[in-house]
Amino acid sequence: MPMKKLVIIPAFNEESNIAGTVEAITEKAPDFDYVVINDCSTDGTRRICEENGYNVVNLTSNLGIGGAVQTGYKFALEYGYDVAVQMDGDGQHDPAYLAEMEDTLVRFGADMVIGSRFIDKQGFQSSPMRRFGIRYFTALIKLLTGQKITDPTSGMRMIGKRALRLYASDYPKDYPEPESVVMALRSGMKVTEVPVVMRERQGGTSSIGPLKSIYYMIKVTLAILIESVRTRRTAR
Amino acid sequence: MSVKLQVILLLLFGMAFVFLINHVRKRTVALKYALAWLLLDAVLIVLVLFPKLLQIIAGALGIASPMNMMFFCGFALSLVVIYTLTMALSRNAENLRELIQREALNDYRIRRLERHDEI
Repeated sequence: MPMKKLVIIPAFNEESNIAGTVEAITEKAPDFDYVVINDCSTDGTRRICEENGYNVVNLTSNLGIGGAVQTGYKFALEYGYDVAVQMDGDGQHDPAYLAEMEDTLVRFGADMVIGSRFIDKQGFQSSPMRRFGIRYFTALIKLLTGQKITDPTSGMRMIGKRALRLYASDYPKDYPEPESVVMALRSGMKVTEVPVVMRERQGGTSSIGPLKSIYYMIKVTLAILIESVRTRRTAR
Repeated sequence: MSVKLQVILLLLFGMAFVFLINHVRKRTVALKYALAWLLLDAVLIVLVLFPKLLQIIAGALGIASPMNMMFFCGFALSLVVIYTLTMALSRNAENLRELIQREALNDYRIRRLERHDEI
């Protein structure tokens, strides 16, 4: 039986990007199903999805990226998917990499495959400040788990059934990427990375402005530290 | 502590007690969350009724003025109350998130069923 594969597209006010994102997936990764998780957008995201007949789940209140992605994971479990991959709705991620990520997931028996910008160091590399922040998280995660994750903030990540079950029941609320990687590693899951090229976002604004950066660094650091002193869950 | 202050404080804390019980009676406040407040009120009433007790504890803790001891007790118990609220808030946020997610998934299923899609 072929694997059932799902692309989860969390979308908050992405009216200028959502159609392009969905079309890129149906075009470049036709063997993947997709679901848009509309995180209570206040712009035309919902209208665009419904007019085009996209597969969309509408949240009644804004849950933030963590709650939206987790809704996608719950959806995946409910409809019997074996593999789920998160792709941001802002057009930064290229669905052409999905096949390679899937191949890596299966071949290495991994629970999670992260699309990393910093293995081949090509394409959009983020600002120097952000790169510094990402390197800091890489070092912190290496210190706490012993594994080097070059792009722990990457929103492009594919997970298998075991990780799906873990995240459907427990997923960080905001800025979930680095924390959830640590969760997976601490639960004894196998996490690998593949090199990808990301584009600069094609419209809309990033959810993390300069003022929030300090808060982001402190909050995620604390989350990672607390995550690593929690009782270790064993993956089923 | 002067008798005058004792009477004023007793009246105040007594009214607070009636207010609290009345709210719990009308289910405006859940007893579970009123407990911390009732405890705070009860401790303060006992301390006002027996100022000697206040002096003894204050002396034992090395607090110069019994009145300061009273403020300290009120403050410490207020923190307990606030922390209880933080816990309740966290639990509520968690429940609400689960509920919103469930509702969205159910809504999706209903729309599919209405269109007679195969699920």
